[in-house]
Amino acid sequence: MRKYVTTFAAITAIASGVAVLQLKATVQNKTDEIRALVNGIHDDKEAIRVLEAEWAYQSSPHTLQENSIRFLALMPPKANQILSTASVIPLRPEGIKVDSEDSVLLPASYSSDAEKNDRGDEKKTTKKPRQGVGL
Amino acid sequence: MTDFAQSYSFIETNKPSRISTARARLMIAVLLFFAAFLVMIARTIELGFSAPQPRVVTSGLRAVVPPVEVARADIVDRNGDILATNLETSSLYADATAIKNPTMAAQKLVSILPDLSFAEVEAKLSSGKRFIWLKRKLTPRQKWQVNALGIPAFQFQREEERLYPQGRLAAHVLGYVDVDGNGLGGVEHFFDASLVSKNKTGEPLKLSLDMRVQYALADELESAMNAYQAIGAAGLVMNVNSGEVLGMVSLPNYDPNNLRGVADEALFNRVTQGVYELGSTFKTFTFAAALDNGIVDMTDGYDASKPLRVARFTIKDDHPKNRYLTLPEIFTYSSNIGTAQMALDLGADKQQAFLSSLGMMQPANIELTEVGAPLYPTTWRKSSIMTISYGHGIAVSPLQLASGIAAMVNGGRLHPATLVHNPDAWQNGKQVISPATSRQIRQLLRLAVRKGTGKRGEAIGYRVGGKTGTAEKAVAGGYKRKSLISSFVGVYPMDDPQYVVFALLDEPKGTKETYGFASGGWVAAPVVRNVILRTAPLLGVAPENEDEGLYQKLALMIEK
Repeated sequence: MRKYVTTFAAITAIASGVAVLQLKATVQNKTDEIRALVNGIHDDKEAIRVLEAEWAYQSSPHTLQENSIRFLALMPPKANQILSTASVIPLRPEGIKVDSEDSVLLPASYSSDAEKNDRGDEKKTTKKPRQGVGL
Repeated sequence: MTDFAQSYSFIETNKPSRISTARARLMIAVLLFFAAFLVMIARTIELGFSAPQPRVVTSGLRAVVPPVEVARADIVDRNGDILATNLETSSLYADATAIKNPTMAAQKLVSILPDLSFAEVEAKLSSGKRFIWLKRKLTPRQKWQVNALGIPAFQFQREEERLYPQGRLAAHVLGYVDVDGNGLGGVEHFFDASLVSKNKTGEPLKLSLDMRVQYALADELESAMNAYQAIGAAGLVMNVNSGEVLGMVSLPNYDPNNLRGVADEALFNRVTQGVYELGSTFKTFTFAAALDNGIVDMTDGYDASKPLRVARFTIKDDHPKNRYLTLPEIFTYSSNIGTAQMALDLGADKQQAFLSSLGMMQPANIELTEVGAPLYPTTWRKSSIMTISYGHGIAVSPLQLASGIAAMVNGGRLHPATLVHNPDAWQNGKQVISPATSRQIRQLLRLAVRKGTGKRGEAIGYRVGGKTGTAEKAVAGGYKRKSLISSFVGVYPMDDPQYVVFALLDEPKGTKETYGFASGGWVAAPVVRNVILRTAPLLGVAPENEDEGLYQKLALMIEK
């Protein structure tokens, strides 16, 4: 019994030691990873500063105008080409909106479809109209 | 046997007691270990079953990315476009004690950096000093080439270089820095301390300039300057309701990235530093003062049939009508005779007080150190009253004039001009004329463009109002007839003023297209018109049909 206890204690102690070492190594690796990421972010920020300066140079009005003259046929807009409100733009006319009440007369196919949708009725059978009794 | 038994009896008597003691001690140690393991097992089980605790992140656990530290904060325009920034660069120095063959090293270095003098470099490398600067701020390519020489005595020190991506654009506003990064001109000098302290927060200095407007203004002024062979030009675009300067151009200009060989004339800011007799544009102030003080009203007029004589001066009209003129006619046809008589009715005290309230008697208040002081007579004689009424005998900067005109049209509030973006700038300001007078001035300015001397300033759709100004340049003992300062100040849209645009040409020459004329109406008004046509869509001013009723009453008082 004593042997087993001693063996168990020894194995447990060794396993704990190994686990702690492994954990420490993992933490160390993660720390190194974070440090590398931080350095990378810092370097990227410095590179972004350079790129922003480059962009400011490349997109300066003078450069844009030169490129526009070389590659595009754009001209400054005339006053009569500018609209003050979007409401004066002649857009495509929309369809006429119809009141959806039952009393409104609609084409037969549309009304039956609409009624089905309204009722949630998905039966394909239609109710027969009441027949008059032959005398 | 008995002896033997006696001699070894202590083994049997002592042995069990020692073993039992050792066992007892071992059991205590084992129990202690067990107790410790039991505690650990219990705690592990407890942690396993417990709900996850909210993680408290402390600064010690969080990864902190150090900010990019630069010696000076960036400068940006109102849209965030970079105007000035600091970038990392390298400067070359040498340890002369480590160089065995200075002549060869100097030869190699000069072949890479041809702007260095061979004799100078050789002398430096032979000096035996441990530290000598060879060249500040190399390009990355030059640095690579120097490293490729493989001379260990050549070493680099990390430095920063101030870079202006927009080049010459807005050079006079931005200014420049010396080799150590200290601001020496423009806002770089004015905000030197705050730019150095702001770098820690990473907050840029945001100017009121709009580079699109700045470029349109510079482009048009440069074209006009070349077309009319002027020696210089100045221009300004200002928001009339806040005093924010959107564009400020002075020509000739310079490239702040490279100041080598720049003439003093190019460094001179004509908008804030230059003071000029601006001529008839000043009539706007005379009219405003007379109308606001109740000296005249729109139905009044003056006799302009013959020149006025005062002291040794003779006051004549540039566009003589030789008749009695109504107030709108005096303004529209830019009559010096009528304006001078109006100023006499106003009086010296009121004229001085009014100009002083507009800030014409003291240097302009703006975030630049290059500000010129206005020139005006120490004693305000009768001749001074008359000549100052139409812009002669007083010299102010274009910035002061633009600020004054803005106050005349925006309902009468004078806003201090500013180069710093400030959304609340419209709240600053003081009332200098009544809103009613301001409305009358707006009508007069619009009519001067529609029917008078400023016709070439008309930008169809944008309801431009403005006033031309032409003044002969003052020299010792009089004026140079052929040397003109031609200017035009325009405001748009006149029914709801938003921006004032000013253009000035220094000594323009007439051309075939202008029939030899070089006055403000011929050379400066088209610049303002083109700038308005180019910038109004960018600034959100929509072209509209004009409400003729706004000017109808006054228009009827103007005869051809």
